[in-house]
Amino acid sequence: MANIAAQRIKREFKEVIRSEEVAKCAIKLDLVDNNYTELRGEIAGPPDTAYEGGNFVLEIKVPETYPFNPPKVRFITKIWHPNISSVTGAICLDILKDQWAAAMTLRTVLLSLQALLSAAEPDDPQDAVVARQYKENVEMFRLTARHWTNAYAGGPNANPECDEKIKRLVDMGIEEHQARVALSSYNWDLERATEQLFS
Amino acid sequence: MLRFFISFFSSLFQMMIHILTTKKHIIQNVLSIYIKTTGGNISIDIDPKCDVSHIKKMVAPQIGLQPEELKVIFAGKELGDDIIIEECDLGQQSILHVVKIKPGNVQSKISASSTPNSKTLMPLCESLDDLMFSASSGSRTASISIGNETSTSDSLLDEIEVVANNEKSKPKKVHFYVYCPTCKKLTQGKLRVRCHFCKSGAFTVHSDPQNWSHVLESKQITGTCENDSEFCENILQNKEPTFAEFYFKCSEHISLGENDQAVPLDLIRPNLRQLQCLACFEITETIFSFPCEDDHVTCLDCFEAYCKAKLSDRQFWQHPEYGYTLACPSGCANSFIKEIHHFRLLDDEHYERYHRFATEEFVLQSGGLLCPQPGCGMGILADPECIRITCQNCKYVFCRNCLQGYHIGSCDPPEIQETSGTSGDCGTELNCDNRNGAGDDASRTTIKVITKPCPSCKTPTERDGGCMHMVCTRAGCQFHWCWVCQTEWTRECMGDHWFG
Ligand SMILES: [Zn+2]
Ligand SMILES: [Zn+2]
Ligand SMILES: [Zn+2]
Ligand SMILES: [Zn+2]
Ligand SMILES: [Zn+2]
Ligand SMILES: [Zn+2]
Ligand SMILES: [Zn+2]
Ligand SMILES: [Zn+2]
Repeated sequence: MANIAAQRIKREFKEVIRSEEVAKCAIKLDLVDNNYTELRGEIAGPPDTAYEGGNFVLEIKVPETYPFNPPKVRFITKIWHPNISSVTGAICLDILKDQWAAAMTLRTVLLSLQALLSAAEPDDPQDAVVARQYKENVEMFRLTARHWTNAYAGGPNANPECDEKIKRLVDMGIEEHQARVALSSYNWDLERATEQLFS
Repeated sequence: MLRFFISFFSSLFQMMIHILTTKKHIIQNVLSIYIKTTGGNISIDIDPKCDVSHIKKMVAPQIGLQPEELKVIFAGKELGDDIIIEECDLGQQSILHVVKIKPGNVQSKISASSTPNSKTLMPLCESLDDLMFSASSGSRTASISIGNETSTSDSLLDEIEVVANNEKSKPKKVHFYVYCPTCKKLTQGKLRVRCHFCKSGAFTVHSDPQNWSHVLESKQITGTCENDSEFCENILQNKEPTFAEFYFKCSEHISLGENDQAVPLDLIRPNLRQLQCLACFEITETIFSFPCEDDHVTCLDCFEAYCKAKLSDRQFWQHPEYGYTLACPSGCANSFIKEIHHFRLLDDEHYERYHRFATEEFVLQSGGLLCPQPGCGMGILADPECIRITCQNCKYVFCRNCLQGYHIGSCDPPEIQETSGTSGDCGTELNCDNRNGAGDDASRTTIKVITKPCPSCKTPTERDGGCMHMVCTRAGCQFHWCWVCQTEWTRECMGDHWFG
């Protein structure tokens, strides 16, 4: 049975390699092992978003029952987005769950994730740290997402103010990523972030 | 008496042939068939190269009639005199019907003489054309929505070529696929026709079936029953037309008699339009054609893989009319497989599981529950008030609400499941997660618990990392629930612990 999944991935792999999105460097797909069970995806941050200029690496695991069940996909590159865990990179997206259909492909998945970066779902904002910020202070959200893109995805837009605040915490002995999470969660309020980190 | 002797000797002869053919393959050119006549049954051996008039000459003296007074009926058609037996796809032990032409029966004379096309004088199984049985319910479009736009146009071109080729050459003989209970596998089937009312095979159709529903549904095609008993005429007294009933025989084993039938698997078809399997993208000779508007097809291997994948996730649907079944893997609307015998394509082990799950699904829908013990899953019907449930199969005693071992008092948070024997799996899960550098305590503790019951239907559900937003995989439930709260998924869950 596993060879159906492998055979299918083989063909999909070729499909993606030849696709125009690859030609435009919008998506990329690499094999991690020779059995076609694990792949590495890459999507470019969509233009005119906070993710512009960043490259986001994805871990793609192909189940034995592929394509009748969805691939398991996770962001390896750390990202600030209401639908993606800033901690584990886990994604909450319907087509990776019950809305998956066997005719969808890895290309569909990569393009859907790219679309997710352009427009967060669900549209009405949630209570989660990122989602709340997205709703209450979209400018702060964009700033934070752009900063994360710069810090982890090679995005071009550095924010000296953010970097300076992180440096202050690092100087206090806090690990850099931990400092970034705390500051991001408290809208870059250095005082409150420090309070939280040392409480 | 004479008839007795004839049939006695011929069956003796037949036995000899049987021995000879099976042992030495010397006499391959003899076909043993039964002739059903008004006066009884005759068994004859004929050379498959001879024609129908030859049969009439052989049979006529035995029933005291002239050859011109007879007509030979097979698979819904009166056979023309010059039809060569070989062309009729008669298997060994097939039954031909020989009846006397009734003087007043204009019907049969018209059909025999006024049609210059000898095609109508062939048995139905030989004269039908494959194309009309391969196209799905009226839709002429051939979209191959694989998300590969370039190949779609190519395939469309291919398809037109194929159709054109088929029109040039003579129409291909129709292919019917069946599940044969004797051979216990998928085989090619032979279409046969009998009277809907008296079940006699001495029956001729007034028109050819044009599609699958004519064949599968009852009372679609009218015909003339030539059964001598006039049973049908008496019963119906011309108030209702006489209808044909279609059935199938397996082409791979010698017929074991009139009750030896095979189940038509109408969704398995020859791939005349060169459609691509939606799962593996191959173009195979035989396909499984899903009953959806988009003409989605899979190859038979992928159909089997699809069934197995959906079976292990309990994603078959208990359809009120069709039974435990599946829809198109692309999630198309109204695409359920009606004939559940298609699932006989599964190997024995999986077919047995299919049966068990179907029963269990029935139990769940009747308000029962399933034993949560790994490897058991027995369906249990218990009083709704009863909290302490004992599995009759594995003797496990458990709490109805949390599916953990039975306990007094309120249900514990389900972390205790760690001790229940599947620790090997837990260990590897944990390691994977550490390697990924997820590193937060929340996700580590939750990974210990691999399964929890769906709050709506109690089906044990597995969480494989990712977020806390669960969708019950059981078809028919698909309840959205929260892994942490074990209640319906809410905004609060999303805010507090979406990702743990
Ligand atoms: Zn058979
Ligand atoms: Zn009848
Ligand atoms: Zn296939
Ligand atoms: Zn479909
Ligand atoms: Zn049990
Ligand atoms: Zn309990
Ligand atoms: Zn459920
Ligand atoms: Zn919750």
